[in-house]
Amino acid sequence: MERREVSFRIQRYNPQVDQTPFYDNFKIAVEKGITILRVLNHIKEQLEPRLTFRAFCQAGICGSCAVRVNGISKLACTTQVWDELTGGGDDPILIEPLSNLPVIRDLLVDIDPVIEKLRQNQGWVVPSIPEEKMGFKEHAVSDDEFEVINAATDCILCGSCYSECSMMGVNPRYISPPVLLKTFRMNNDTRDTDGDERLRRVTADHGLWDCTHCYRCVEHCTKNIPIMDGIHRLREEAFERGMTGSEGARHAQAFFDDTRNTGRLREVTLPLRTKGVTGSFGMLPLALKMALKGRTPPLFVHRIAGIERIREIYRKLEK
Amino acid sequence: MEHTFDIVIVGAGGGGLFAALEAIRTDPKVSVAVVSKVYPTRSHTSAAQGGVNAALGNKDRDDTVELHVFDTVKGSDYLADQDAVAYLCSQAPQVVRELENLGAPFSRFPDGSIAQRPFGGTVKDRCCYCADKTGHTILHTLFEQCLRRGVKFFNEYFLLSLEHDGGECQGIIAMNMRTGAIETFSAQIVILATGGHAKMYWNRSSNAAGNTGDGQAAALRAGISLKDMEFIQFHPTGLRKSGLLVTEGARGEGGYLLNRHGERFMARYAPQKMELGPRDVVARSMETEIIKGNGFDSDAGSYIELDLRHLGAEAIKKKLPQIRELSMHFEGIDPIEEPIPVRPTAHYSMGGIDTTMAKTAVRGIYAIGECACVSVHGANRLGGNSLLDILVFGKRAGQEAACEAPQRKALGITPAAVRRAADEIRSYASHERYERYGIIREELGRTMGDNVGIYRTGERLRQGVDAIRQLRRRFRHIRLYDTGTVYNTNLIQILELKNMLDLALCVAVTALERQESRGSHYREDFPLRDDAIWHKHSLCTMGEDGDIQLGNRAITMGMYPLEARSY
Repeated sequence: MERREVSFRIQRYNPQVDQTPFYDNFKIAVEKGITILRVLNHIKEQLEPRLTFRAFCQAGICGSCAVRVNGISKLACTTQVWDELTGGGDDPILIEPLSNLPVIRDLLVDIDPVIEKLRQNQGWVVPSIPEEKMGFKEHAVSDDEFEVINAATDCILCGSCYSECSMMGVNPRYISPPVLLKTFRMNNDTRDTDGDERLRRVTADHGLWDCTHCYRCVEHCTKNIPIMDGIHRLREEAFERGMTGSEGARHAQAFFDDTRNTGRLREVTLPLRTKGVTGSFGMLPLALKMALKGRTPPLFVHRIAGIERIREIYRKLEK
Repeated sequence: MEHTFDIVIVGAGGGGLFAALEAIRTDPKVSVAVVSKVYPTRSHTSAAQGGVNAALGNKDRDDTVELHVFDTVKGSDYLADQDAVAYLCSQAPQVVRELENLGAPFSRFPDGSIAQRPFGGTVKDRCCYCADKTGHTILHTLFEQCLRRGVKFFNEYFLLSLEHDGGECQGIIAMNMRTGAIETFSAQIVILATGGHAKMYWNRSSNAAGNTGDGQAAALRAGISLKDMEFIQFHPTGLRKSGLLVTEGARGEGGYLLNRHGERFMARYAPQKMELGPRDVVARSMETEIIKGNGFDSDAGSYIELDLRHLGAEAIKKKLPQIRELSMHFEGIDPIEEPIPVRPTAHYSMGGIDTTMAKTAVRGIYAIGECACVSVHGANRLGGNSLLDILVFGKRAGQEAACEAPQRKALGITPAAVRRAADEIRSYASHERYERYGIIREELGRTMGDNVGIYRTGERLRQGVDAIRQLRRRFRHIRLYDTGTVYNTNLIQILELKNMLDLALCVAVTALERQESRGSHYREDFPLRDDAIWHKHSLCTMGEDGDIQLGNRAITMGMYPLEARSY
């Protein structure tokens, strides 16, 4: 069995003692095939009983043990030490708590904000069958209808996407990927009756339209769920349901129209079309700064040469 | 801090959540709190993979509740109470449909109905499933519906004690893990739904780290009896290295068990049901093959192969995706290409808090699911009946609690009880203590595996009982190294170990007492079932001195008389 000494650099923080977080180093002999969670358990039992982290099922299904390993959010229980070795195996493996959530102690974070956002956005099915008639009859759901939401129901709420989301870092009030995924899962469940209300909530400020398409949630989902597909579908649904009044929706509409009309974005009028006249006042300082740096977008936009081909694409899509 | 509710539910797995939901649906005016040591979606219900049994008749049109009752009673080796089994099975179609109505996703047949697959020890295909994530999806659905109903959650609270005045429920004392504060929950009704205790086998167990029987241990210390504790189910297919579970659904979909001669050896043990014999039979057959030298050898011990390759890549990806993922993560093999190395692993505790249809002997204290023993599983549980158990009895407990709570007075919790709990926790940090948690826990797991495992003898069980008593004595000197109050997991480990030690003694003592073989309890020195003497439940209570006293109770029979059990 392959075996080697590995260093682990673990973030520590006990609010009762420490002013700020610090790092502890542990060097231990590890066999190939050992997971990060087994290392954490070993350290806790043999070296440092105060080390604090969560773990429960140890099989990748409960979602308790998500931490950042070498900067990336992962489940400790399904992450192999061997896969995390860098620098020829000599660099320490860095283990830190998830980002974008308050640290309670060491590697343990408060996930209440995620649950609270789920609650606010009604992440549950509102059944079509009245209470008193429940239990008598199944809904007929085709396999194809189930397949639409199948992957989304894999979510274990581990918080990895919440931690990796680039929007969460700049706006803690942002709705977050797992909540959007849950919204998608509910709104595409043929048994649900509350899609309108749910979508109304998620299209409010700090919601659906604030996603920047960075795809970090998809890249780092511990269950390989195509979260972004769900977010795209919700945006389409917002238009289908006529929820086009929000800044985000108007912004998307402007991109859509410009591309069809000229094949180019008319950036000059984009703020007006997105934020309206009064909303655009706030953008003036930025516009002046851009002008001073010579970064003003062109006033007039010329049609691109292949515009007919683009319009053909639009026509096909609309069919 | 002092809390007061009409109903306090301890544990937020499927059973606890369904009880909470049902209590509020029955009477929206009752106040309900769910107190759990983990966030609800972390609960071990999430790990149930294969499915939930209900005679819906979507697959086999001629399936009936009576057949489900028969399979369950026979599976239990006739130790289950047949009135309870009849209730379980008759409610099954309704609770599964209800769950479906509430939004639980299920795999479907082409006609849009809930899909059903074959499962071990049954004459009809009646296991309803959602790929191999059934427990996970049920747990999340119930959690979502609880959020919808505004159920009040106290997450990450550890149960310290169950309080009653001798005949009536007072409530519970629990520790807020985030602050270390001891808080009281005064309630007319307490529903214990804390899950199983098979983690006492530690790394020879498929269970989550926290399946330490906290509710059972609290009930035992509160003078409530535990029933049929000797019956621990070993699941046939745990992954060789980690003990993690490979669902029975893998065999339900057609997987083979092979020894190192490439033989489907189940033909010699259960010629008709083959790989889909009941779990006790299959686990014992595998262990026999390993003992006879027919297993595959490896650094991590001998094992048997579970071969899925003939099912084809598409079926494996669609119906068993999680199994494929687990095999790749924890054994480094892809079941599409190679057989999975497996061996039996401690999996489920049939025994638990003695209840009659969810109620204990103390008025207002209920217990449901794996922490309880109704008994519907008897000496061996059928796959697909544990999710059913938590749903049916969770629902029933919620309904009854909502009706009973307004009729009773809140008694409150005495300051003396709170002082006792606080004193105990303080005592662990004493500098005169020297025993280490990891060592005692390791030895407990080893002695349970070696002496109270699949094959048992009087001699080994006596050694086991002695070893556990010794470990309990050493536990009195256990040292708490972390003296902080914010999320002290070192303290939680110690409290969990105490619970496991108390329950392990019950398991070993009752196993030594029962001089017969029945279901999961196999005595090499008494290899036959002995109905004349042992067709009865065993009971354990804890005496003042902390030792275990034994008793027994007759079994409620019904439609199905005693019969020899073969598959």
